[in-house]
Order: sequence, then C-alpha cells, then structure tokens
Amino acid sequence: MENNQKQVQFKVIKGGPMEVAGNFTITGHDGKLIEAKSPAYLCRCGSSNNKPFCDGSHRRVDFKG
Amino acid sequence: MNTKSKAYTNGEITVYWKPSKCIHATTCFRELIEVFNPLKRPWVNMEGASTERIIEVVEKCPTQALSWKWNRDIKTTDQPEQSSHEEEVTPEDIFALRKEEPVKISLMRNGPILAEGSFKIINADGNELKTMIITSFCRCGNSKTQPYCDGTHRKVGFTA
Repeated sequence: MENNQKQVQFKVIKGGPMEVAGNFTITGHDGKLIEAKSPAYLCRCGSSNNKPFCDGSHRRVDFKG
Repeated sequence: MNTKSKAYTNGEITVYWKPSKCIHATTCFRELIEVFNPLKRPWVNMEGASTERIIEVVEKCPTQALSWKWNRDIKTTDQPEQSSHEEEVTPEDIFALRKEEPVKISLMRNGPILAEGSFKIINADGNELKTMIITSFCRCGNSKTQPYCDGTHRKVGFTA
C-alpha cells in the first residue's frame, strides 16, 4: 500500500493546547482508546475539564507555557 | 537486532524482557515510568520501585514479554545474560520498525502525554524541535522544560 500520509505533527500553541494532526491514536491510562478527530487539541495547562482535550481553560488560568 | 531475553535484577527478583514478544502495549511505562523508561539506558531501572510494585506491573504485561522470578528460585545453570549497555535493545527500537503505524498517544495517570512513533514537533515560534521516537509532553502545565515533561506533575499533585 502506498503511503501518502503526511508525518504526524505536534504543534505547540503558545499559552494554549497542543495541536496534533495526522494518523494517531489516543489511549487513556486505563488502556482504552479515546475517540479523537484530526486535528485534536490536547490540554497542556492542566486545567481543562474535558481532559485530555482543551476546553479553553488556559485563558481562565492565564497559562504561559 | 538482538532478540534474546534480557535480565534485570535488584538482588531479590529478576525481571526478564523478551523483545520478540513485545507489542509495545506501553502498559509497563504507563504504570511505572520510574522503572520502565524507554528513554533511558538501560531502560529497566530495578531500583525505581519496590519489588512488590515491580511484580504487580510485570504481571500486567499483556504479552508476557515481561516476566519475573525470585532470585532464590533461579538455578545458576539457567542464568540468562545480564544486559549490557552496548547491546541494549529497548521498546523504542522495536517501534522504529513500525513507522507506518499511527502515532500512539498515551495518557499517563496523573502525568504526561506520551507520544510514540514517527512525528515532528513544532514549537510555538514555528521552529521544528528535535523529533524523537518517544517523547513525553507536559500535561500539568507546570514543567520548566515546556513542552516536555520534567516530572513536576508529582510535585504539584496533578491528577488526571
């Protein structure tokens, strides 16, 4: 099978989440797959109420990372 | 690649890792990164946790690539070779052979995001950062080495 897929890319969004695009899977710490579309936005600030995804809380907590 | 069984001991028990059986389920590092860390050489640190905890995690290995024995039960005649740095094979090497597979993102309990596979990382300023086969990204927001994990999640008591 020809592989036309672009390499998966993790993009750090300043003061916000991690954007991940391409062919990936997300597995929770219980080993179960978590459904996600590409691109997905993963929480980096630690404050999302929708972990592992971003819910915009980084603005509320003024995340600087 | 050397696919013989590797042995790691803390004096009390010996943990064996059989590369040919490893399917990279990541159970061992999700559960106990202090002992099973594919970024380190050797990748198994038998001093990283108690014997009981190591046994508990080894027994969760879905493929039995990891197994263990009490040292007192090991006959001197069937001692496998002790792992040396020169020929250290890790789950990372196994994964390198599976480049066509999707990148695997795993969430560590109360810890970072672990990404494994072939991927690149673009920093907030648009520059490409070093790409590794296995990388852990901070998820607690407190790492001093953003976007990577530096272990601070334990200090701040991050729960997720």
